[in-house]
Amino acid sequence: MTFAPESFRDNVSQALKDQQLRQNIKGATDYFAANRQRTVAADEHFEQLREQGRLIKQRCLAKLPELLEQLEHKLTANGIKVHWAQTTEQANETIAQLLAQHGATRAVKGKSMVSEETELNDHLNARGVETLETDMGEYIVQLEHERPSHILAPAIHKNKVEVAQIFDKHIEGLGYTEDVDALILAARHVMRDKFKQADVGITGVNFAVAQTGTLCLVENEGNGRMCSTVPDLHIAITGIEKVVESLSDIPPLLSLLTRSATGQVLSTYFNMISHPRKSGEKDGPKAVHLVLLDNGRSDAFGDEAFRQTLQCIRCSACMNHCPVYRRVGGHAYGTVYPGPIGQILTPHMQGLDKTQDLPTASTLCGSCAEVCPVKIPIPQLLLRLRMFAQMPDKDEKPVVAGQGAGRKSAEAFIWWLWRYFHQSGRRYRLLTYMLTKMRWALPRVIKPWTDSRELPTVAKMTLHQRVKQRQRQQGAKR
Amino acid sequence: MNAKQAILAKLKAAQGNRAMTDLPDEPDYPLSQLDSAEQYRQWVELLERNQAVVIETVAADIAEVVTQQMKRLGLKSLLYGENTPFAAQFKAFAAELEATAFDFELDTQAKAFLFEQVDAGITTCHSAIAALGAIVLWPDKNEPRTLSLVPSAHFVVVRREQLYADWPTLLKQQQWQENLPTNVLLISGPSKTGDIQQYMAFGAHGPKHLIVLVV
Repeated sequence: MTFAPESFRDNVSQALKDQQLRQNIKGATDYFAANRQRTVAADEHFEQLREQGRLIKQRCLAKLPELLEQLEHKLTANGIKVHWAQTTEQANETIAQLLAQHGATRAVKGKSMVSEETELNDHLNARGVETLETDMGEYIVQLEHERPSHILAPAIHKNKVEVAQIFDKHIEGLGYTEDVDALILAARHVMRDKFKQADVGITGVNFAVAQTGTLCLVENEGNGRMCSTVPDLHIAITGIEKVVESLSDIPPLLSLLTRSATGQVLSTYFNMISHPRKSGEKDGPKAVHLVLLDNGRSDAFGDEAFRQTLQCIRCSACMNHCPVYRRVGGHAYGTVYPGPIGQILTPHMQGLDKTQDLPTASTLCGSCAEVCPVKIPIPQLLLRLRMFAQMPDKDEKPVVAGQGAGRKSAEAFIWWLWRYFHQSGRRYRLLTYMLTKMRWALPRVIKPWTDSRELPTVAKMTLHQRVKQRQRQQGAKR
Repeated sequence: MNAKQAILAKLKAAQGNRAMTDLPDEPDYPLSQLDSAEQYRQWVELLERNQAVVIETVAADIAEVVTQQMKRLGLKSLLYGENTPFAAQFKAFAAELEATAFDFELDTQAKAFLFEQVDAGITTCHSAIAALGAIVLWPDKNEPRTLSLVPSAHFVVVRREQLYADWPTLLKQQQWQENLPTNVLLISGPSKTGDIQQYMAFGAHGPKHLIVLVV
């Protein structure tokens, strides 16, 4: 499969034919959905919590620029340096420079989708920095030079037999085993060595608290703690929308996140970092940096409807419940963020010219919006993106970059005709009358629509004619 | 214009002039309604569901219980924080247990020791949260962050009166926002991963065993 949203349709055809892939994805998403359902059903207040989550995120977005300034102010006062990046290149360059300043050549990484977004590993590897993904799923994916297929569980497209083969190939002395405990233990040993030697730990951030200048990380494995504690330098990278106003916003958002993601009441670890190592403390990084990335987020912010996209807390419930994602998996989308959230987020990062197919990959069934912990109206935003994909870019400043890229003149002409014939009863009756008379001349095949559909046949009489005939017959009876 | 100015200018231009005081009321977080005995049961149940081991004991017996548990797990060397109340107890078990104090800075040499030679770490805790089945650590210079992370077993001592009903109550009563330490941790069980075909494997990167001693 090709890693580009332009290849979405080709990727889908490939993914659908891969029975093993479909089985792996189904197994994983069923598991996540069932776990979520179990915890959510046990809590009569969950709907109230979702409403609270939505309003918290909307408040934090309403104050976004002020909160970002406050966050920087607080973090700086705490001794954590803040860097801003408009583009992925700027973010990568900032991190590469920080590493160069510290003479760091060995990096351990905690899971960070934003660093996937910037393709940080490639950038650092090109500068001679060794980067090791330490989340078990990310590690599997990195060994195979693949990309994550899910934002929470990057390797769900692989089953344990495939992982056993990968580890056998890459981990010296392990041999082939399908015993998952043995596989994890082997990876643990490989990575402990790396944690010990690493010069820098790079992680993402789940929430950044403006009130206190605190970076919060959610995880089960402990690799995020390793990366942010053991090396002398810790660099965190995150999107500008991750800032929340106060510490009291954290409990509800965290509860929504872990329950929507995996059905956990709380993740194994919730890690809150407010300072680098203070004098007298025996461990922890001596320097901590935060890179704040925009990459199209401020474009989404500019439109009040699309702004809701930024409410996302990256729980992955939308993909676990999406009938499209559940069949094609994450790689088919050709984007860092797959599934419904990726379909509404990526157009702001890459423009509709590249991503115009993504908003169409939905049945609009509404499952994603129903499970979203912060109530993002994903189907409505998909429709809005579909509209902008067709809307001619006449304005000076388009709402979405690449606006109108999906517009085809033939299609536009057909719709113009449709409108013309539907604007007056006379024209409409004339059209339908003509169609009944010209039945024999109508095409049997309209590609690609008829590849998987039957073309409906035009009736011998129009509905108007039928009704009139019926009225005549009934009149005659009386 | 640098990146910061550009981002902020763009956000401010798009922000609109809706008054910040005009924001809708937010519903309150649903707080726990359990009495203290129920809270304790809830906390233990959640921890055990996450494969933590909860042992009720008394403060004077901590070293004895730890020694027994380490024998059960086949572990030998224990690291404890300086100036912790139970540190002195371990002297009596020197024959069965190598107990050392975390009295060093974590440099390259110390990393090798911590990663390769220490089997277990024991810490006190800051508080515990019933509704989340959580233990809260505020690591400090006596009990550093890696003490509860690197060794493959983590013993944590929790006093019954440290248990709070839920997190918002704890935040409010203790006014955390006033002075957060370098690091705060909520822990709900041993380290784990389900990244290989949803099979839950324990001891992914952090401790494989979380043993909670309630006194």
